[in-house]
Amino acid sequence: MDKSKIVDELAAIVGREWVISDADELIVYECDGMTYLDKAVPDVVVLPDTTEQVAAVVKVCDREGLAVVPRGAGTGLSGGALPLKGGVMIGLNRMNRILEIDLPNQRAVVEPGLVNIALTQAVRDHGYFFAPDPASQTASSIGGNVAENAGGPHCLKYGATTMHILGLELVLSSGEIVQVGGKTLDVPGYDLTGLFVGSEGTFGICTKVIVRLVRQPEAVQTLLASFRGIEEASEVVSTIIAAGIIPSALELMDRHIIRALEEWLHIGYHEGAGAVLLIELDGPAAEIAAQARGIEGICRTQGVLDLRNAKDDQERALLWKGRKGAAAAVGRITHEYYLQDGVVPRTKLPYVLREIEAIGRRYDFLIANVFHAGDGNLHPLICFDSRREGELQRAIAAGAEIMKLCLSVGGSITGEHGIGMEKIDFMPLMYSPDDLDAMRKVRNAFDRTQRCNPGKLLPTSKSCVETSVAYRPHRIEREGLAQRY
Amino acid sequence: MTPDLLAARLAGIVGQEHVLAQERCAQYAVDGKAPTAAVFPATVEEISKVMRLASSERLSVVPWGSGTKISFGGIPERVDLLVGLARFNRVIEHEPADLTVTIQGGALLREVQAYLGQRGQFLPLDPPLAARATIGGILATNASGPRRLLYGAARDLLIGLRVVHADGTATRGGAKVVKNVSGYDMPKLYIGSLGTLGIIVEATFRIYPLPAVERTWVASFPDGEGASSAVAEMLAAPIVPSSLELLSSPAAQSVARLAGLSLPQGHVALASSVGSVAEAVDAQLGQIKRISERNGAGGGFLLEGDAQERFRTAISEFMPGERNGRVGAVLKASVVISKVLEAVRRGEEIARAVGLQSFAICEAGSGIVRLHWTNNAGEPGVAVEVMAKAIEALRDSIVREGGNLVVMSAPPALKAAVDVWGPVGKALPLMQELKQQFDPHRILNPGRFVGGI
Repeated sequence: MDKSKIVDELAAIVGREWVISDADELIVYECDGMTYLDKAVPDVVVLPDTTEQVAAVVKVCDREGLAVVPRGAGTGLSGGALPLKGGVMIGLNRMNRILEIDLPNQRAVVEPGLVNIALTQAVRDHGYFFAPDPASQTASSIGGNVAENAGGPHCLKYGATTMHILGLELVLSSGEIVQVGGKTLDVPGYDLTGLFVGSEGTFGICTKVIVRLVRQPEAVQTLLASFRGIEEASEVVSTIIAAGIIPSALELMDRHIIRALEEWLHIGYHEGAGAVLLIELDGPAAEIAAQARGIEGICRTQGVLDLRNAKDDQERALLWKGRKGAAAAVGRITHEYYLQDGVVPRTKLPYVLREIEAIGRRYDFLIANVFHAGDGNLHPLICFDSRREGELQRAIAAGAEIMKLCLSVGGSITGEHGIGMEKIDFMPLMYSPDDLDAMRKVRNAFDRTQRCNPGKLLPTSKSCVETSVAYRPHRIEREGLAQRY
Repeated sequence: MTPDLLAARLAGIVGQEHVLAQERCAQYAVDGKAPTAAVFPATVEEISKVMRLASSERLSVVPWGSGTKISFGGIPERVDLLVGLARFNRVIEHEPADLTVTIQGGALLREVQAYLGQRGQFLPLDPPLAARATIGGILATNASGPRRLLYGAARDLLIGLRVVHADGTATRGGAKVVKNVSGYDMPKLYIGSLGTLGIIVEATFRIYPLPAVERTWVASFPDGEGASSAVAEMLAAPIVPSSLELLSSPAAQSVARLAGLSLPQGHVALASSVGSVAEAVDAQLGQIKRISERNGAGGGFLLEGDAQERFRTAISEFMPGERNGRVGAVLKASVVISKVLEAVRRGEEIARAVGLQSFAICEAGSGIVRLHWTNNAGEPGVAVEVMAKAIEALRDSIVREGGNLVVMSAPPALKAAVDVWGPVGKALPLMQELKQQFDPHRILNPGRFVGGI
């Protein structure tokens, strides 16, 4: 292709200042929040402002046979926005408007580049919020949340992003603009909205999002329960769920996290705490009072060292500051860490946490844990130092073992970070070749050209491996930890 | 393949006693079209074999749970083979402490609820005709009911499933954990797909604890405006009702009679349910009563226990069109919440103009309006063409407001005269492509889904 000609054509669509093609500037786009994968730069980055511009850009890509890689804020943690095969990256940051807020109907229509928290900020004073709250919510975009089906602490009660997305405007790989779903429920036909959420950019680009707005609860109560160790804390998680109490958030932090946080933010964790649970309840005041009594009873009979009840919003904010600063705090005790994401049935938490500790010992890594315990969504942080020979590879290998552990108890290889590039080789461990073929069929229906975010989410089918020129064995594949199909 | 040979081949797969042939299949007719054979497999392998046979012989297949929603969808192009799920009726795995359950597709919802209820849990799906509905049928039709307001519908509860496709391939999607973003969200593909992509043989759900106490306040309002503004006020307040059912005055009378209540003639009813601990239920129902009274409610009934159950059953089993030999149609409109009353009114006006009576049961907090159109007692039925036109007129006005309307149930002659699904716009080619990918020979329920899929 004649790059300069294409750049000119794209510039004619979006304006010269919104096309990036200088090698120096493109470096910014060489990876997302997952920094341990091989970097890749797009040929061009385009920053369109309207759906029509997106469609026109995609049409050029279609004609030229170029890959199209959408990107929001670039906070993704599985390499979903990595332009593996170059091509045109479409940054959606300028499309960040709130198009409509319709409180009586509990809906908003927004553009994909809107930062998650901005929507809640816009409706907060009216008593509403946008429920998905990934840790990245002050930076990540709603379009990115849609692509990854983002989670967050409060999706224990409110559900992941998919439950809050009712309709989308899409630009398909042909450049065609299609509306799916709508403001109303049960739009006839296959649930294309539900399929698109979590498709990681492989179906096309969403240019408008119809979301559900949720009424703020009457009351909120935040508790911090300290336990001797992670096993006691995780047993309590299991008991709370088994008792039929579903808090709005139920987060666990282990001793490594507590120590790192205490030195940094002085939250005032109990001295003997080897693990803490951050428990938030929300809803009608009388209901959460009863739930709090239930939780207190469970904690007392299961060896709680200390149970702290946030007395006001200020203390609640402090307790959440600890939780939200957890990963950053770990940066203070290790040169770097590899953040994993896996899910297990909640009853399996005590066993799985013991095994993760054993994996840490086997690989000689400190593995810190801070995670969404209420829905069994683990986030082990494998602490390592890539300056030491072979440590990155070992950290990745330890991560792979944790994935296999999750699968061995009937869990999942990702609860909210997505497959992207990072976990593509684990897909065959979770799904049979036929299961994966069914996914390929869905992909083919949306994008027969396979040019939308190529190389993500789905491993290349066995028959395609020989013909795939770009194929290189992944690290974990070379080490025999995963097999490509 | 001759009918006898087909029956013999099927018997070879599942055993003679699980195959019905020809005239013995009459009870399984879909819109008057009876299958050549009906087969009742017991294992996924058997279903796979049946589907491979159907695929190679290009036999059209109707998956069948209990038939409560078999009148849903367009008239099938062909009906060769019925695959019944009656023997897929077990709870496969229930881990109470994980609040998840895996159930076979043919299991009756009622039996699942009884089973989970022993452990103080339930699957919060309460579709129409819940007493006889199967899990697979509820998923395939995306059937939902009043409690969707709090707990969501199938798409919010289903976390994993197992499906047998047209070519016999059995696949799994999702997982048994409540949070999972590994690959595409395959369970979503099959919800509401009306058996056109595969047969749902197993489903894993997130489930919920039964609330300690659940009560319903049924308020009667002299007019729809009062009830409607009460709903808006309740939704804007920090109360958490599990359902808000708005019944138009004829529907209110009919449901009240079945539930053993007496409501003033001409009044509409608003039934608000709250489930929680007793103090929270009472506090919220207190607010609900105050809001109702402020908006002109003329009084009401507090229901719990058996009385509440009777009321719910009356709504779930509401079929005025089937009583007294009346014929009619069941329509489901989905509108934005603030347009519920308008849809009810419009439905009444258009029905009245052609000599029909309209009964409306609305999930007022979700924007779902169920209309039962019947001829007036003692009067002759309305001509099919007239009724079809009336449905199209109502649909036009609802679509103009951004909603949609589907015909849930109607006699075949009426279904032949009206598009039961309505337009799906530019998304149709994507849907056709999905169908092409999963069922290229169009053997699964051909013609019953949107756009003739």
